[in-house]
Amino acid sequence: MSSAISPRSRRSEAGLDRRCVLAGAAAGLLVSALPGRAATEPSPDLAQLIARVTEGVAPERGRITLSIPALAENGNSVDTRILVESPMTGADYVRWIHLIAEKNPFPDMARFHLGPRAGRAEVSTTLRIAQSQKVAVVAALSDGRFVMTDADIVVTLSACIDGG
Amino acid sequence: MERDSSKGSALRWIPGLRFAAPGMTWFLSAIVVLVLPLASPALAEIKSGSDFLSPELRRQQADETRNPAFFWVEQGRELFSRKPAGEGQACIACHADPQQSLRGTATQYPQVDAGTGKLLNLEGRIEQCRVERQKQPAFGHETPELLSLTAYLASLSRGLPMQVKTDGAATPYYEAGKAFFERRQGQLNLSCQQCHDGLVGQKLRGDTISHGAGTGYPAYRLEWNDVGSLHRRLRACSLGVRATQFDYGAPEYLALELYLADRAKGLPVETPGMRR
Amino acid sequence: MSFNARITMPTEAKAGEIVEIKVLTRHAMDRGGQSDGKGGTVPRKILNRLTATYAGEPIFRFDMHTGVSANPFVSFTTRAVATGDIIFEWREDGGATYTRTARLTVT
Repeated sequence: MSSAISPRSRRSEAGLDRRCVLAGAAAGLLVSALPGRAATEPSPDLAQLIARVTEGVAPERGRITLSIPALAENGNSVDTRILVESPMTGADYVRWIHLIAEKNPFPDMARFHLGPRAGRAEVSTTLRIAQSQKVAVVAALSDGRFVMTDADIVVTLSACIDGG
Repeated sequence: MERDSSKGSALRWIPGLRFAAPGMTWFLSAIVVLVLPLASPALAEIKSGSDFLSPELRRQQADETRNPAFFWVEQGRELFSRKPAGEGQACIACHADPQQSLRGTATQYPQVDAGTGKLLNLEGRIEQCRVERQKQPAFGHETPELLSLTAYLASLSRGLPMQVKTDGAATPYYEAGKAFFERRQGQLNLSCQQCHDGLVGQKLRGDTISHGAGTGYPAYRLEWNDVGSLHRRLRACSLGVRATQFDYGAPEYLALELYLADRAKGLPVETPGMRR
Repeated sequence: MSFNARITMPTEAKAGEIVEIKVLTRHAMDRGGQSDGKGGTVPRKILNRLTATYAGEPIFRFDMHTGVSANPFVSFTTRAVATGDIIFEWREDGGATYTRTARLTVT
């Protein structure tokens, strides 16, 4: 029987070592302990995932336009476009853009590395989104700061699956 | 039987069926029973499957920079010119200038093979050529090679209207396909017609029910992450109503393919399509 | 033919102009983890990185995990600086690499 997304895998993936995860977890606690979190703040889980990629620095909200359908026809391929406001000069540019889906089996979906020569901090791709959830984008700026935004997405399933 | 209270829905859940197949509960959540009386068939104008897609997906279908199925078309174009091992000729040795000589060919399939009297779809014709004329082993259903060649040949008819023959030698196949379409089948006791005539445009889980025009196949289906044939899609339909899944190329699906192609008469070929 | 790529971008641009580069890739991007029928599991086999190099240095890198779709699409931009090839290199789990080039003429 097929499923749009395979069950959660226990196997860890390359690219994240244990120390990195632990450091991020500790940082995540700090973030989630900050007082006065608005309702739009990420959930503790998501905050932890974000803190891990920012090495504990809390990103500011804004400067990112995330275009992703509120309702995905199929989670196997979800069109996603990201635009970060940045002059993209040698003095002020976006270093990278990181995509997180907190409920994916492996939440770190992808990272785009950019530089001043990009001219514009605008990228797009097709994502696998396992289920309805919040998708977060974190961008690292050349001055060491981070910005973020997120969006809720509802993933529907096709009625007629193959099932083998 | 209660009618689902949500407005506009003609479907109702049947949790009582849960026990029927342990471990398939999430799949069963997709299973529904019809409460609408049978609509009179084929009165409405038949629309293409792409009319039931989101505008984004419809746009991607025509965009070679976005529709992955064009990789299969490209592979098919290469295979068409490649000389097979041994004595056999490349397809293009007989079918020179396929852009012209095979333009429109796909609009006439399935068709009855004059030699054998059997109904052949495009895949069947390609395999026949490969075995009898090229003296090569058949590719086999759903192999990348057969899907690619089929997608390539069908793409040569893009935009041309479907125009299958249903008279003469094709009559019994057409009648069999029509009967298949209208016959209730499977554990859900549903006919194709009940959904694909009676409930077109309504929601079935994340899908919008279409007329079942197969004019985009072989198509790239997001659900598959891959290109697949119309028969693969039909097998998914059969499973959906928990009916017998026939083999690829089975007479039942060939006859149904002819009936669907006739229903789609006049609709343009869209291969390679993109579908949910 | 498990890998193929379709790179779409302008062939010509004015110096300083920002060009958009679209890349569609044929790859199953297998997440792995399914049963292999022999008591084990299928290993992950995805393209895990795409690097684009232009005028002597990397201009873009896309690190992919299992959250990127099968047959992935990616687009990005670069400023036209000099006539030359943009070199695209993919790295697949297991170490295989694939390369494509596209020429940009700068006027």
